[in-house]
Formats: sequence, C-alpha cells, structure tokens
Amino acid sequence: MFQWLDTEGAPLKHHIPGSTNYLPDLKIRGGSFDKGEPSTQPFPLNANFVSESILSEELRNEIHKRVVGQKKSIRAVSAELGVDMRRVAAVCRLVEMEKRWKQQGKPLALPYARAVHEMVPTTPLQDSRHQRQTPHESINDLPAHRLTNAQIFYPVSESRQFTRIEAGRVFSAAPARDHRIVTEEAANPSEAMSRITQNPSRIETVGKGAKEQPVLQPADVRIPHPHLVVHERQRIANPNEFQLVRKAYDARLREEEEIERDRKLIAQERRERQLSRVQPESSRFEFRIKDVVVSKETTGSDGRGARAPGRRYGVPSYDRKKGQIKIPTQVVV
Amino acid sequence: MVVRIRLARFGNKHQPFYNIIVAQARSARDSKPLEVIGTLNPFPQRPTNLSEQEARTARAYKEISLDRSRVKYWLGVGAQPSDPVWRILNLAGLVQQKQQSPK
Amino acid sequence: MRNRATTPLSKAKIRQSWSKYNLYNLSRSRDPRTAQRTFFQQKWTAKSLSRNYHGEQVRESEWERMFSRRLRSVVPMDPYKLARDDGSGMAAGRGSGLEKFPEENPTPKRLLPASRNPNATPYTHMTFAPLERRLDVAIFRALFASSTRQARQFVVHGSVTVNGKKMRYPGYLLNPGDMFQVDTERVMFATGAPKDKFERREGRVERKKAEAKDAEAEGEEAAAEEAKENESEGETKEAEEETLDTRGTLKTLLDQAKSIMTSNKDVLPAKRKQEIRGFQKAIRRVMSKSPDSSILAANLETQFAEIMKVLKAKKIETKEAKGSKKETKDSQKTETAPTTPEAKGTETAATGENKPTEALNEAFRQAAQNPEEELDTSELTDEEFEVLRHALVQLRDNPIDSTKPYATPWRPRDYMSAFAFVPRYLEVNHNICAAVYLRHPVARPGSSEVPTPFGENIATAAFSWYLRRR
Repeated sequence: MFQWLDTEGAPLKHHIPGSTNYLPDLKIRGGSFDKGEPSTQPFPLNANFVSESILSEELRNEIHKRVVGQKKSIRAVSAELGVDMRRVAAVCRLVEMEKRWKQQGKPLALPYARAVHEMVPTTPLQDSRHQRQTPHESINDLPAHRLTNAQIFYPVSESRQFTRIEAGRVFSAAPARDHRIVTEEAANPSEAMSRITQNPSRIETVGKGAKEQPVLQPADVRIPHPHLVVHERQRIANPNEFQLVRKAYDARLREEEEIERDRKLIAQERRERQLSRVQPESSRFEFRIKDVVVSKETTGSDGRGARAPGRRYGVPSYDRKKGQIKIPTQVVV
Repeated sequence: MVVRIRLARFGNKHQPFYNIIVAQARSARDSKPLEVIGTLNPFPQRPTNLSEQEARTARAYKEISLDRSRVKYWLGVGAQPSDPVWRILNLAGLVQQKQQSPK
Repeated sequence: MRNRATTPLSKAKIRQSWSKYNLYNLSRSRDPRTAQRTFFQQKWTAKSLSRNYHGEQVRESEWERMFSRRLRSVVPMDPYKLARDDGSGMAAGRGSGLEKFPEENPTPKRLLPASRNPNATPYTHMTFAPLERRLDVAIFRALFASSTRQARQFVVHGSVTVNGKKMRYPGYLLNPGDMFQVDTERVMFATGAPKDKFERREGRVERKKAEAKDAEAEGEEAAAEEAKENESEGETKEAEEETLDTRGTLKTLLDQAKSIMTSNKDVLPAKRKQEIRGFQKAIRRVMSKSPDSSILAANLETQFAEIMKVLKAKKIETKEAKGSKKETKDSQKTETAPTTPEAKGTETAATGENKPTEALNEAFRQAAQNPEEELDTSELTDEEFEVLRHALVQLRDNPIDSTKPYATPWRPRDYMSAFAFVPRYLEVNHNICAAVYLRHPVARPGSSEVPTPFGENIATAAFSWYLRRR
C-alpha cells in the first residue's frame, strides 16, 4: 500500500488549486500532471456520479445582493442566474448568517473554505454585464410522478387533439374533456396554463372520499418556472422584438408574484379567522382555539376520515415497543 | 344515563394528547365515543419565527381545536362537561365560569 | 493509528472515509465476478459490498425499515421545447403522413443497456438515498468531517446544531430546508492536517505556560507586571535599534512576505512556520515605529487593523507623490492626463486576487529593477503594498496557534482532494461550516445524486436484494 501511495498515488496527496484531483485521473494522465481536462468523476467504477460544481463566493454574494439588496423575488433571481429556487433561498439564509457572524466577530473557517473551493469545481460569476451568466443547474426539473409509472395502452383516434393535458388525464383516469374546451385551450395555451398555475386550489379532482386526488397536470404546469414556457412562446411568436418580449416577461413575472403574494395573504387571513387566541389572567399560557368541523363529510361514513379532528380510534400506539426509535422528526426554527 | 363532554387520553408515555369527546358517562375513558368534537394538546408550544424582542415577551401557547356548533348542540341536549372541559369551554366563551362550591 | 477493523487491507472494504487506506482500497476495487455464481450469490455480494459503504454504522434492520422501493427521479425540462410542442404530434403522427422515417437508418435504434447509454436514468444507484437524509451522513457529504463515524461523534458530542438547536441524534433524518451547522473548530480539526510530534510538544508547553501564568496571576500580580515592563523595555530597545533603518526593515519584511506567499507544499511545514514566525516578528518591529505602541500587546486582529491603517496612509502618500510625478510628466507631453495611478492600483488588486503568486513575482522583479528610485521617492510601490496586504491577510486568517488541535497554519489533510465533492442536494457555506439540506437526492438522465463508489451492476443487484424477492 505504501508503495502505491508513494508512486502511483502520490499526485493525490495534495490538491491542485483550481482543479479537481480525483482517482480516475491517475489512470488517464498516468502520473503526469497536465494532460487534458481534469476528470469530475470521483469514483473509478461509477461513471454515473459526477462531482458537480458549487456556487463560487462571488456568485453567492451576488445572489444575496439581488434578493436582499435589490429586493428581487427569488423566482426572478433563480431564472436570471440559473440557480434552483430552493438554493437561492438557502444561499440568502447562509450569507445572512455569515454576515451576522462577522458582525459578532466570530472566527470563520476561512482557510478551510478557501481550500475546499480550490478542490471542488465552482460556477463562477460572469463579471461583465454583457456576458450571460452560465446556468449553475437545471432550474426546470420535473419530478417523476407516481401516476406516470404505469405503462398505459390508450388508443386515440387520429382526429383527436391529444396533448400532454390529455395524457395527464389518462394517467389519473379522469374522463376525456369536451371537444370544444380542448380546441379553445389549444388556441391560447398560455392563458390556459396560467389559469391553472394561478389557482392551484381549483384543479379538478377525480375519485371520491379518501381516494379523491387532483388530476395529473401537464409538465408545463408542474415545472418550477411555468412562466418561462410562456416567455418562450412569445419569443417564438415575435422573433425580432426583443424589447417587447422582455417587457412582457417582466410584466408577467410581476403579475405572478403579486398573485402569489395575494394567495398567501388570503390563506393567512383564513387561518387567522379560524384561530382565536385567549390569554387568561390566571394562566401564564396563551390558548389558541382552532375551529374545526365535525360532520359527515369530514369524518366519513366509518368515522375515520382524515380531515376530522382528534386522534383515531383503533390505531395502537407502539411507543413502548422494542426497537421504536424516538428521535425528533423535525426541528422548528 | 348522562352524556358527558370529557377528555380521552391519547399520545405516548410522558406525552399526553387529549381528544375532547362526547360519551356516555359510564363508558370507559378511551372507548369509542359518541363523537369526537375537538382536541387538546397540553404541552405548551414555543411560538416560532419571532424577532428577539418579541420572543422575550411572547407567551407559550397550548393548542386546542373545537367544533363550536357541535358543542352548543350537545350542551343544548343536556350533555354535562367535566371540569377540565368546562374550563376549555369557558376559554372558548361557550359557558360561564363554574361557581366555586362553598366549603 | 487506523482502525484495522473498519479499513482492512486484506479484504478490501470501501468506507465513507478520507483515510489513505480507504483510498488505496478504492483504487484497487473491481467489480465482483459474476460468472458461475448464482443470482442469490451475486445479490449477496453486492449487498454486503454496498452496505460496507452506505450506512455501515446503521443496523441492518434499521436500514431495512428505511428502504423504499420508490426511487426519486427528475427530468430536466426545456421551456423552449415545451413551448414549441404541446405533445399532440405524438398521437397525430401515425398514419397521417406526419411521421418521418429516418432515411439513413431504417432499422430502429437498438436499446442500449443502461450502463452504456449515457442518457439512461441510473435508478438503482438511488437505492441508498434514504441514508443520505441522516444527519451524520449529510455532515460527511458537506465535507465537515473526514468520515461518517467522525461526523457521528461530532453529533453525539454536541457540536452540531440543526436549525439553531443542538441535535444529539446522528440518526436524525433531515427534512428539506433544514440547516445544520458544525462547530468550526471541529471542522478545522477534522479536515486539517494533524500535528506532528514537535507541534504536539509545543502545544503542551503552551498549555503549561498558560497554567503557570494563571497561577502567577493569582499569586502575585505586581511581580508579573514588573516582568512585563522589563520585557517591554527590552522590546522597545530592540525596536529602536531596528527602526533606525526603516528601509532595511521594510525590505526584509517584503522578502519574508514573498517567501510566505510563494512557498509551495513541498516546503516542510516546520520551515514554513519559521518563515511565518519571522514575518510576524518583523511586523511587530514595524508596528513599534507607529506612535501607538500599545497595540503590541493586543491580539492579532487589532494588530492587523493597525498595520492596514499605517499601510493605507502610506499608500495615499505614495499615490499623491506618484500622481504629482505623473502629472509633471504628462504636462510635458500632453495636457489631458487621466488619473492613471488609481486605475493601476485597482488593476493590480484584481490581478493580485486572482493569482497572488504571479503578481508577487512581478512586483519583486520590478522592485529589483529600480530599487533606488522607488525607495527614494516613496518607500513602497503599489504592487509591494499588494504583496504585503496579501501576506498580512493570510497571516490574520490562518495564524499559528499551537493550542489548536490541528497543525497550524491550517492546511488540508493529505488525500482530502481525492474525496472532495459536494452533492447538489446540499447547499454548503464552508466559511461558517453550515449547510442546508435542500431536497432529497434524485436521479436524472445520466447521473444520480447519491455518491456511491459502485457501478451499475452492484447497485442493481443490491437493490433487488432489498426488494426481498430472493
């Protein structure tokens, strides 16, 4: 082993700043250092795992600047820089925390961070304004839905307009839509899609009782940035009018944000309406009394409906059984 | 026989959780009731997402859920709340505070 | 000493660890042979191999409960394609004349096996995805610990917080959006090179000194003060001697800064340390020149701030001097003179940040070419300031401190780079040693996010083992 470490494995001992230094590289470059691109595959046997780039320090600060400083929405920043929305939110949280640490004078692990950023591929920030920022990751990931696992043989007549919307209905066993509605929607697909994304609570459902579930929606709606599809449609329709399309894009983004904010506000208000807070003089606690509904609809015919209040009967508690792991399942901020 | 509005204990050891139920007075505590009309979590919860200033003055809270219309119905047909449930219903403003019995 | 049970050389087991033994085992790992072995045997081998890596600290029954046959996957969608095509072409094609047959290749494409098709989704690599949710594994994946076992220890010893609350369970399953944070000192210890014999001894001596000092302070304060005064007197005397020749001190300072910045990893750590110590001393000497000499006793941070202030003041002076010089020159040539010195300064700063060593070399070459002239007008050039600044920054960020449990100045441990990668389901901020678990790992066409050292055939066999159809 030590012989291997001294001869073949010697290049792995120290990192090469600014490039990866993984095991499969040894075989490619055969001990010499600079031959071709460094490999991004850490494990020799697994070509399906690649070491993907992380956000560089500058890009991270840029994201924070845009979201916190310029008050842009997470959605807009995500589309601009090609970074997932969840990642944008996380970066803001982490950078904010780093700032707080600096204020408090806590020691940061700077040499360690620098070394890691030298070892791992990073996505740099494009410094000039004219160059487009290279996307960090794909922002429109469509999760594979459970319903699409089935392989369905579904004969369709040639004359029928059978789009992704229809395919989703077939997967969730919903009845076919009226011909007129289909042609109407096909005439203006952008509006039809935005109707769904702006009112997610009005999606049609199939099934009854506990089996009730929303109809599987097409990919245009289920991706994180449906507004980009509309934008692309506009670009295809008006190939030479960049300014116009850009303006329409900004307007749409703003509109979407407003609608989302309104939706959140309404939901919050509804929650507040259902909740009454009592702070009695005699107690040091506050009591939050939530209104619930006990009726045939919520309890179901057998009295076990999931929407009714209370713990269920006939479900034993296994908390004293052997092998039950009692560790917290979540930590609330 | 009397119909009572009372608590039924659920949850784990050292971690109670109560259903507010309507049941015959003589039936077992955790047996199947006539109706479940709410819940009570006696563990005080810390309010979250607060600024530091708010966190200093904020009270811990206990969660109660209740169907007020069903409570009114059962009180109307003569169901008798137990003492703990009486206190909860008093908090919800559905009954008057119980008079202390003279000693 | 390595743990012989976990990283044996005789029967190679690949672990979640950065040890060199593990690296060697990884380098000689091959796919197990499948010829003349029953399917059960193949599955058994695959299961045991992959379980040695994935959740080796988790009991088998515990893992079996976590296993899920539902493997998460995503498909990256292109909005352009979605906008172009509403999918109706797929159904309308048959028989309507819309379907196009490729002329050159009339035979349908042969379905490649998943291992050779670069666009196939490697589902079975996701077999152990539920384990990546565990807190100890996530800490290891975020490069905060050198092995999962160590990460586990960090959790158990209470140096890990989740969402700001201390979490003592290594088996805590992270939820999307959870932020976990490890004590920076622990991380530096885990990922930094270990101390050698001499450094350990230094640490011991330091500790003893501190203890002795404490005792002294308790006993007789006056004596200590006296001693201090004597010391400081001696120091000032020394400083006076040194400061007689400012040019000389600055020059030596620069030399030392250069050697610090340019020295590569081949230099022995001990020698490097000597250099850095010398530099520190030189800085002290320079500082003793400044009117407020009380900084000497203060900590490194204030020292740094002070020296930066001094340097800045000097820089402004130089700039003014230079500017005036330039102006005179320019006025001789042309009337319109842009403010070049500032631009130059920013330029050097930018290059300096990118490639410190190159800028340094350049600076020193320049300094060597015209030493008298520059030092006559002003003591330092812009580039030299940059050099000094860099050396100072490094000194401040990565100080020598023998009380730390790792070798100082901090450097990454050997063979760390071979294992250094951060999977996409984590967003890590290494400065504060905190990370956010964004989402569960997923497979996508061509790649899976669960880091596993095994190939397709082991992954598939292991997955089918846990399907329990054997």
